[in-house]
Amino acid sequence: MPSVSFEHVRKAFGDATVVEDFDLTVADGELLVLVGGSGSGKSTILRMVAGLEEVTSGSIKIDDRDVTALPPRERDVAMVFQDYGLYPHMSVRENLSLGLRLRKIARQEIDRRVTWAAGMLGLAPLLDRKPKQLSGGQRQRVAMGRAMVREPKVFLFDEPLSNLDASLRAQMRIEIGGLQRRLNTTTIYVTHDQVEAMTLGDRIVVLADGRIQQIGRPIELYRAPINRFVAGFIGTPPMNFVDGGLREEDGEVFFRAEGMSIRVPHENAATSKAAESLTLGIRPEDLRLNASTTRAEGGPAGDAFTGRVVLVERLGGTSHVHFDVVGGSRMMASVLNDRLPDVGETISVGVPPDRVHLFAADGRSISNSASLPS
Amino acid sequence: MRAEQKSGSLMAAPYGVFLLVFAVYPIAFALVLVFLQWDLVTAPAFAGADNVRLLVHDGRFWRAVANTFVFLSIHVPLQIVTALGLALALNRQLAGRSFWRAAFFLPVVISGAVVAILWSNLYATDVGLINRVLVKLGASPVPWLTDPRTAMPAIAVMVTWKNVGFYVIIYLAGLQYIPRSCQEAIEIEGASAWQRFRYLTMPSLLPQHILVVTLSTINGFQLFIEPYVMTGGGPLRRTYSVVLYLYNNAFAYQKMGYAATIGVALALIIGAVIFVQRRVIGRAEAL
Amino acid sequence: MKRNLLARIALYAGLTIAALTFIYPFLWMASSTFKPPAEVGSLALIPHDITLDNYRTMWARAPFGRALVNSIFVATTITLSVLVFGSMTAYAMARLNFRGRPALNAATIAVLLIPGQLTLIPLYTLMVELGWVDSYTALIVPYLFNPTAILMLRQFFLQIPQSLIDSARMDGMSEPRILFTIFWPLSKPVLSIVAIFTFMGAWNEVLWPLLVVREQNLMTLPQLLTVFALGGGAGSVGVSLASAMVLVVPVVVAYAFLQRNFIESMAGSGIKG
Repeated sequence: MPSVSFEHVRKAFGDATVVEDFDLTVADGELLVLVGGSGSGKSTILRMVAGLEEVTSGSIKIDDRDVTALPPRERDVAMVFQDYGLYPHMSVRENLSLGLRLRKIARQEIDRRVTWAAGMLGLAPLLDRKPKQLSGGQRQRVAMGRAMVREPKVFLFDEPLSNLDASLRAQMRIEIGGLQRRLNTTTIYVTHDQVEAMTLGDRIVVLADGRIQQIGRPIELYRAPINRFVAGFIGTPPMNFVDGGLREEDGEVFFRAEGMSIRVPHENAATSKAAESLTLGIRPEDLRLNASTTRAEGGPAGDAFTGRVVLVERLGGTSHVHFDVVGGSRMMASVLNDRLPDVGETISVGVPPDRVHLFAADGRSISNSASLPS
Repeated sequence: MRAEQKSGSLMAAPYGVFLLVFAVYPIAFALVLVFLQWDLVTAPAFAGADNVRLLVHDGRFWRAVANTFVFLSIHVPLQIVTALGLALALNRQLAGRSFWRAAFFLPVVISGAVVAILWSNLYATDVGLINRVLVKLGASPVPWLTDPRTAMPAIAVMVTWKNVGFYVIIYLAGLQYIPRSCQEAIEIEGASAWQRFRYLTMPSLLPQHILVVTLSTINGFQLFIEPYVMTGGGPLRRTYSVVLYLYNNAFAYQKMGYAATIGVALALIIGAVIFVQRRVIGRAEAL
Repeated sequence: MKRNLLARIALYAGLTIAALTFIYPFLWMASSTFKPPAEVGSLALIPHDITLDNYRTMWARAPFGRALVNSIFVATTITLSVLVFGSMTAYAMARLNFRGRPALNAATIAVLLIPGQLTLIPLYTLMVELGWVDSYTALIVPYLFNPTAILMLRQFFLQIPQSLIDSARMDGMSEPRILFTIFWPLSKPVLSIVAIFTFMGAWNEVLWPLLVVREQNLMTLPQLLTVFALGGGAGSVGVSLASAMVLVVPVVVAYAFLQRNFIESMAGSGIKG
């Protein structure tokens, strides 16, 4: 049974359309992540589910019940806000129980749920504190607890980790994931952070300018981005892009740009054999670095090109090698630390053909080589 | 949202109605009254430009306006000097600053009617406190409120005394806004105390000067209870204020049209004076 | 060092003289009310013969007790209305989208720019036509809302995070409930500022009552005080000052306890207004 379904939802503020034809079904118990930059419309979609924002056209159903016109309190959803939205003048206990008290739920039941949520989240010793007396992570837990005690059909998370520092964010991310799996409550989670999206989401919806760019499992988005935007958005460090064109030689297809000529699988370019302008994308972790080789000049080597190292960033486990393609653009490779080149060194950069992405001038992906693991 | 629209309209509607009845309507009706003759007993009669003509040639009205300018010429400079002086004193390292501040502010919270009654006694010629002190010091008593030359200045001094605490707070806020680094920089450059005041403090306080001038000017044009209680407008009409004249026309003479005309004229004069002041201050700043 | 010390002594001496200038007249006023007529002129603060005659006379000659009740009733009603209805308006203007909101904002600012003298007479004729002259209605209704207070409250409400409103809506609260159970507890500073300057304004107001009330039993304190002093009802300085004390003492007592709030409130409202 679908838990939340959007049917052609559109949202406009005056003349400005912020969400266009959002059509999607969230399965029962699924954790769906909406990811995109600011202005992508992700928070607006979440707020429309919550009932905090009105739907301009289209409809939203929760468990097959049309909630489009219902006020927030009648939707049976609970939300966790970026700045937590805890009532500063109330204790943790009061914050947790207020929504239940307003719904006239029996005293004992309220106590039971508060105790349960506090226990799960480790808030038991803090119940009589005010939000001001809590750390960021604790406030975050209270905000989650407030959603949990409601035992709603749907959890809504609006950038819940953005106000935390990096180490706490990683920890809370794990906690949220674990909690959601344990409760098995349908969840819509909004974030601008693609790492959160990749690690938490059962499925991810990538948004830009109020439109869905791609929907899929995390690995699908990573392996087979549908357009240049998704390719650049998903994955850290971000994908390298090189502008160039295709040329057919001796029955093989090559991507050509200043300083490089890369063989691309035949079927890849079958549709656009012409030398139109397009973009090659390759992830930093897919590049292979070799010590400078004295490669035969001129002839199309096909699976490598030459670059000059301009910067090496050592991250510990891996390192980022920034290099200039001879006569061409700046690129970056993410490599293990076995053997790092020096700045100024000339290196040969290997490109596995099956890891190459090609994008048409309008950003559409025209590769289908980056196949999914079975 | 529809619900939000509805709550918003409902919650703001009473105020909207209030504004219509007690702000928009009176403003519009003031302009209508200018052309009416109305004693509140008989029906109002159209009077054309009679009220305006009368006002233009009304010696009493212009006397009241002139009195106000006499008042302002003493009150505004005195207010700036005293308020700035006290604020500078309070802005130092000081024991019991909040006590001093509270003491200076005390008259601000006291009703103007009380202050007027109190000062009537302080200014009284024979038994007044001020004259007693003067006599003790060997001077002769001054008929403060009964001499046409001293009556308005006496009122101006009193109003300055009543309000100074308010303006001290404004100047103090301004002084605390001057960055420490600026003060340290000008000290390192070897400026004397006077130079620091002249080249740093005074220019930095420009917004406060403007505020003090504007508010004390508006306050001066609204002078009412002081002459009403202390002098009744005398001697020789030298303390008659515009609002007192307006009040008497409405209350004593039942001339609503004319009283409203005075009100409109007063609003225009206040607007014009504030406008000129801003221009002058703006020009002075440009220099 | 020595020069420094001298400067400090001069500073404190100057401050003391200034403070006395502001406080001494009130002390003299207070002490005069306990002096017999012969002594009133003296500069001394401690009376030789302490007497309550001035108060007895004042109380007997005019209904000051009634005026005190009137003043408390009028000022309290106005203050409550400005707080309750004013914050409802301010909440709507700050946080709810509704048609007419921009117009209401603009009108509020415009009203503050118009000098009160312009609307004084039309408001008075309105009271006459509504038959409100000589009634509490005339003293209270024109002050039920205060645009300065609304703007101050609105400014404060704008800074409260949206997520609190969202949370409260998700918790099922109505908008007025959000205002009074979430916003009010967070707005104590601005509410106290608004309460003080509204109450003080109503308490000290004298021109408006002089226009719309002639019935002695409906007069507020400052009005009765003015009428009493001008009409010669007092008869002596001591009695007239004693009647002023009725108006001053509650204010000074409140000021003694809340002076910081008073200063913030009255300075703040004056700057905005």
